[in-house]
Amino acid sequence: MCGIAGLHLKDHTYRERLGAMVAGMLRGVARRGPDSAGVAIHDDVPDVPDVPDVPGVPGVPGVPGVPGQAVPGVPAAPGAGLTVFREVGDPEEFAARIGLAGRAGVRALAHTRMATESAVTAAHCHPFVAGEERLCLVHNGSFANHATIRRRLAGLGIITETDNDSEVAAHWLAARRAAGDDLTTALRRLTTTFDGFFTLAVTTADSFAVVRDPIACKPAIIAETDHWVAVVSEYQALLGLPGLADAVVFEPEPEEVYLWAS
Amino acid sequence: MTHRPDLIDPGRLAAEAPPAHHTFGPDVLAGIRERAELGRYPIRGWGARRAVPDFDDLLLLTASASRYPLEGYRERCDTRTVFGARRAARPVVLDIPITIAGMSFGSLSANAKEALGRAASMVGTSTTTGDGGMTPEERSASRTLVYQCLPSRYGFNPTDLRAADAVEIVLGQGAKPGGGGMLLGQKVGARVAGMRTLPEGVDQRSASRHPDWTGPDDLKIKIEEIREVTDWQIPVYVKVGATRVDHDVRLAVAAGADVVVVDGMQGGTGATQDAFIEHTGIPTLAAVRLAGDALADLGLTTDVGLIVSGGIRTGADVAKALALGADAVSLGVAPLVALGCNAPTYRRRPVPPPDSAPTGASDSAYVEVDVSAEYAALGTAPGHCVHCHTGRCPVGVTTQDDTLAARLDPVLGATRVANYLRALAMETTMLARACGKSDVHRLEPEDLVALTVEAAAMARVPLAGTDWIPGR
Ligand SMILES: Cc1cc2nc3c(=O)[nH]c(=O)nc-3n(C[C@H](O)[C@H](O)[C@H](O)COP(=O)(O)O)c2cc1C
Ligand code: SF4
Repeated sequence: MCGIAGLHLKDHTYRERLGAMVAGMLRGVARRGPDSAGVAIHDDVPDVPDVPDVPGVPGVPGVPGVPGQAVPGVPAAPGAGLTVFREVGDPEEFAARIGLAGRAGVRALAHTRMATESAVTAAHCHPFVAGEERLCLVHNGSFANHATIRRRLAGLGIITETDNDSEVAAHWLAARRAAGDDLTTALRRLTTTFDGFFTLAVTTADSFAVVRDPIACKPAIIAETDHWVAVVSEYQALLGLPGLADAVVFEPEPEEVYLWAS
Repeated sequence: MTHRPDLIDPGRLAAEAPPAHHTFGPDVLAGIRERAELGRYPIRGWGARRAVPDFDDLLLLTASASRYPLEGYRERCDTRTVFGARRAARPVVLDIPITIAGMSFGSLSANAKEALGRAASMVGTSTTTGDGGMTPEERSASRTLVYQCLPSRYGFNPTDLRAADAVEIVLGQGAKPGGGGMLLGQKVGARVAGMRTLPEGVDQRSASRHPDWTGPDDLKIKIEEIREVTDWQIPVYVKVGATRVDHDVRLAVAAGADVVVVDGMQGGTGATQDAFIEHTGIPTLAAVRLAGDALADLGLTTDVGLIVSGGIRTGADVAKALALGADAVSLGVAPLVALGCNAPTYRRRPVPPPDSAPTGASDSAYVEVDVSAEYAALGTAPGHCVHCHTGRCPVGVTTQDDTLAARLDPVLGATRVANYLRALAMETTMLARACGKSDVHRLEPEDLVALTVEAAAMARVPLAGTDWIPGR
């Protein structure tokens, strides 16, 4: 269905290398999601420009469904830069176009999509960004009761932009966070609220989290060293990471919330 | 009234020969003759018999590649259903979302009431009293008993109210919204008459409007009064026959109901004028969507429960009703059929020879006694009977005659009804799992498509194979 990759730096001396590391991880999951791709990069350097330098379309809102057009970077939360790119088309070409390998940051999510029920447009690409804190989410799998949850959110005045199932989860999590849940609690609640199969990776300005559904059929591998922690859909996507030989590599347990905060 | 087999019975004709669709079909002729003969309206049991859009016109979109099904035995699919947790100290907790509807002692025999109570307790669900009050057999057999408060107030008293696990204020029934209960004289035996403080053997037509309040403003006060009498312990349900469903559900919620029960036009009855049964109210299919949407719009889907009834027969019906917004369904006619209604035989335990030692015979040891001739005497046949109003039920379900009532063994009957309810619950979870749901209540309208334009318009789901919802 999709490929996901997430990287969280414990050691910020790797900051300049983050883009290259994520580009390799994205390549490793590219075949799982050939129709579109996206990345979200958090940085701790406040002077990151809000609108990234996208070749051809600087600052222009993405045109749905047209390859090569990006959803521009979203404004950063105070003190923490967040840049998001989402495009229809081949993931590796996408990575080259946005110059992913040259980008710096401290935490990132990447996604390659094989659409299930909703359309293939830039707006339907992951990562989905939701709420005031600009929580980012990538999802591999599909939900089975998102229509009801979308209606409940709408009742609270929270309107999703698309009919995508994963977008509902992003907004639902943001709503739980706004209601006072910490990220671990919100994710735990998600596992009992959403039906379907899922591996989710979630980032905020200071946290990185992974959770899987109670059955945990969708693949996920976590690798952790003293310098970084990474989650991917397939082991091969880890291969280019520096120091992998010394990493603790494990499969996350069902319904367990794994969280790292800086 | 003695039964006149020489009179042509509209229910029987409708069942035996599908009514010809012209202005004066055979059923219409029979109805005219009955009115001419008796000088009154035709009366019968059961619900609407004509074809209306129903749950058979919907299909479930179970999982395939874009979604994944859950495995039948290993992966959980919850059926637990809770009502009234917001206000009542003792909410109603059901193991399955399938309940037994209110059917009066009077319309049903005491044995039938006891059998339904036992069956409901065996599968962890509730049963409901009816017009005429609560019998001790029913109370002791039922783990969870809902006590009806009807316009007639027959058998309604504070003692039984406090003995109940929930109270259901009945504004109407799907078979006769706007009409009152009816029990013909042949069923008003000594015990029924005593409970209703009425003379024996007299036709009884119950009130159609509550004596001490009209309208939702007064209903609010009535609900508060009932909560005070029951010390805020038990949930309060409000039951309506499906007509102006959107308004009625909103008003029931505004009046403070914990649960709204919506009974569609196919809903069964023990005895009602045919004109009511066939010509009032809206189909259950349309009613459930309107009620579910009204509650969703109020943002109360998780607080105020929705029970839907009227023509529910199978687990597929249950799954579809839940997908359209119901939290549970309620069954009238179907459990009566499980008890033996319309069967050619009744079952009784063998009578042991007088000098034999007790055998400890199991529930499955019984003998079948053929009663086809008694159906014929009513002017009908097994499979076509709607003659509950006569009190001559050949299988002892809807009678007050001691000999007939004894034909229904409450223990044997309970086993069959419990089996039936279990089978419905299994079908419901099977379909919910196939839709990828870990709880039957997570079925949603998006899991459905319609086979006909009418059903698509009423249920507001797309016509199968299209994304077209009429009116959208
Ligand atoms: C024999 C019989 C007696 C009934 N008595 C009552 C009653 O006393 N009070 C009431 O609210 N509904 C009564 N009903 C209606 C049921 O509560 C319920 O609304 C209806 O049967 C549901 O439709 P179904 O029969 O198609 O399942 C009765 C129904 C039957 C079949
Ligand atoms: S068999 Fe009995 S319960 Fe069934 S319809 Fe006939 S009279 Fe009514």
